[in-house]
Amino acid sequence: MSDNLTKTTHATTEMRLLWTWQAIVSRLTGVGKGYYVWLAISTALLTAGIAAGLHAFVVGYGHIYNVTREVPWGILISTYVFFVVTSTGLCLVSSIGHVFGSKDFMPIAKRSVYLSILTIVAGFLVMFFETENVMNMVIYNVLSPNLHSNIWWMGTLYGAYLFFMAIEFACLQFDRHRLAMYAGFLGVVSGIAAHSNLGAVFGMLTARPFWYGPYMPIYFIASAMMSGCAAIILFTWLAAKINREPIQGSMARAVDVTRQVGILMICTIMFFQTWKILAGLVGGDAEREAFLALLTGSYAFNFWTLEVLAGMVIPLALYILSRGTNMKMLFWGSVSMIIGIFFMRYDLVVVGQIVPAHYEMAVNEYQTLLSYTPSAHEILIVLGGIGLVGTLFMLGEKIFAAHRVEDHAEETHAETLPALETAERTE
Amino acid sequence: MNSTEKKASSRLIISTFFVLAILIGAVLVLHGMPAGAEQSGLGGDVLFVKPVKTVIFSHKSHVEGLSMSCNACHDKLFSMDGGSTEKLADFNHKAFDKGKYCGACHGKTASPMNAQCTNCHIGVKGHAKLMKPARK
Amino acid sequence: MKINGIDFDENSADRSGMISFMERRAFLKLGLAVTGIFAGGAILSLTSAVERAFASGGHVQKYPYKPHYSMLIYQNRCIDCELCLEACVQANQVPKYGYRTAILEREAPKSTGTKREFIPVLCNQCNRPPCVRACPTTATYKNEKNGIVIMESKKCVGCKTCVAACPYNARYFNEERKAVDKCDFCFASRLSKGMKTTACAEACPAKARVFGDLSDPASEVYRMVHQIEKTVWVLRPETGVAPNVFYSRG
Repeated sequence: MSDNLTKTTHATTEMRLLWTWQAIVSRLTGVGKGYYVWLAISTALLTAGIAAGLHAFVVGYGHIYNVTREVPWGILISTYVFFVVTSTGLCLVSSIGHVFGSKDFMPIAKRSVYLSILTIVAGFLVMFFETENVMNMVIYNVLSPNLHSNIWWMGTLYGAYLFFMAIEFACLQFDRHRLAMYAGFLGVVSGIAAHSNLGAVFGMLTARPFWYGPYMPIYFIASAMMSGCAAIILFTWLAAKINREPIQGSMARAVDVTRQVGILMICTIMFFQTWKILAGLVGGDAEREAFLALLTGSYAFNFWTLEVLAGMVIPLALYILSRGTNMKMLFWGSVSMIIGIFFMRYDLVVVGQIVPAHYEMAVNEYQTLLSYTPSAHEILIVLGGIGLVGTLFMLGEKIFAAHRVEDHAEETHAETLPALETAERTE
Repeated sequence: MNSTEKKASSRLIISTFFVLAILIGAVLVLHGMPAGAEQSGLGGDVLFVKPVKTVIFSHKSHVEGLSMSCNACHDKLFSMDGGSTEKLADFNHKAFDKGKYCGACHGKTASPMNAQCTNCHIGVKGHAKLMKPARK
Repeated sequence: MKINGIDFDENSADRSGMISFMERRAFLKLGLAVTGIFAGGAILSLTSAVERAFASGGHVQKYPYKPHYSMLIYQNRCIDCELCLEACVQANQVPKYGYRTAILEREAPKSTGTKREFIPVLCNQCNRPPCVRACPTTATYKNEKNGIVIMESKKCVGCKTCVAACPYNARYFNEERKAVDKCDFCFASRLSKGMKTTACAEACPAKARVFGDLSDPASEVYRMVHQIEKTVWVLRPETGVAPNVFYSRG
């Protein structure tokens, strides 16, 4: 059970020995029952999601999903955005350590890189079942690209991003830190480029006043950092549970600084959103209607309870009150934030389409706002994406021994900072 | 029966007769007056679906509103057979311009037919709205 | 995206207001001045500014497309007989769950005069099409000869960005073609086979839809658009897409 811990000093040579099937399987044993239960649940969700997606493919997406010509983008798109935002955030926050040299952030780096890969793969999985002609995407994105298209850039850059992050993870796993830094840097650059293009997919559509403008790309980057902080704290806590080790020492310090960045980003996002809404309320009819739907209309619950309260206010309060040491508060604050962020994406995508294109013509056909509710299949695919992250995270946590604080970090932080020793209060 | 009893019984018969007559008359009158477009004996709204869907003609506004007699249109301009006039091959604006059908008045003494089309042309949508049981 | 050597991107405006001499000339030739100066002056385009700078008198000599297909719709003439919708479905195999063109109804019960209006809508074959800009695989593009925004089904990924980008709800995903579909001014079904007009324009008994060449002085479309006495407008000019479908009453 303490296999990995005793071998820290001989990491480089030992890593090669540890990759036999026997060694891998042995790393997956000796965990608590809870681990297997959650692993089973995650795998079940993943399987259900894939099954739902395949079934929908056979029947025809148009017949099963609830998207329409007026609301062509639904929960699958918003979930893709959610996963991709989280992935980019994980990459950006972890890069503060690994790429830009801030030692406090280094302990969380490897896990964050791993998770950034998982979340973007989950995003691709969800997208796989949303796109009608996936093969065409593979073929014609290469053969007949449109360099003016934000979608093209986003897709291409995220492909590059995934490539760089995978290389970075491999380098971190095999202790090639210099190479990891270069890969990480390229990952950050491609991640920011890809992510702002994703924002621009929405922001450059003049037809949609709710989205149009320079705000979307900027907001997406800030929001990514916010999500990344929450994800790091959440998964660090989960990893501590899986490995039955307290969060202490340099890891606790890393969680603390992540929390501080998180507090800053929540405040930033609150500021951004406030002005976005105020500006929207003085816009034309179509624009106002969309914002009013969020503030007082059919999306008011989503906005006030889920986006504002769960997504920003509660996490901010818990992050501050925890003083950086109460891990349980940090965990629940992060859970709340992630749930809130999921609905931030959902509202962003859906509310941008509920005002019909011809709304301002005052015609009978488009007097009211449109509506969209996800179908069961779409929801299952979303759960499948979550299941993929859960399954691969849990497996990876054991297989890659990610809990081991990295060697070079330990070399420079020979002593754990006593003030930050955290007694484990959680079971 | 004595004379007072005879008077009483004959009054009874006469008043019964009157009440019955009033009731029957009321029933007849009320029967001929359903809620909505139909007026008793007037013909109600006519919906022409040929050559295009749909043109509305209101008997009420012509007969009541303009005090036109039935003979003004029937049977010289329009047959009283519902649905038969619109099937005629020349039932269109070309013929109207020459004074046939609606053109006998419209374009002369009544409003011209080359403007304000949707006064009469309620379209496919207008037709669907009228057919719906619950009116908005 | 480039059309006839002119860069239509937002970026071109970013170059600190400097537009090259060749580009100014190209803009003049472009005919977008049509929508800036005519069409009720409802649209401000880069071209109007250029026109003012050149004091050319606002008359455009050359158009980038020959023929520059456009449609003029007389809103007051539409009687919602929907013969155009039937003709479109017939000519282009439009499935029941979708439509390429539609009629919208605007009611004004308190108005003096007519109390309702029927408004045909369809793809506007924009001069700055947001769908063309957004498509990742160039599955949709503007035909270089006649300006029609064409759909190449085989490349369509089905991402629906073009559907979201369209200011006019002109696009829908066609299950049979496995691609997004929209009005193409009957190019594939009629114009490319030698016919002169769209199915809808031909079917309309009230001459509410007039299909024509915006660059041909003999065309009614040209005549109505190049005059400033009767109001001619376009839908959603604020989106900056410079549409090729014009509306008027008359």
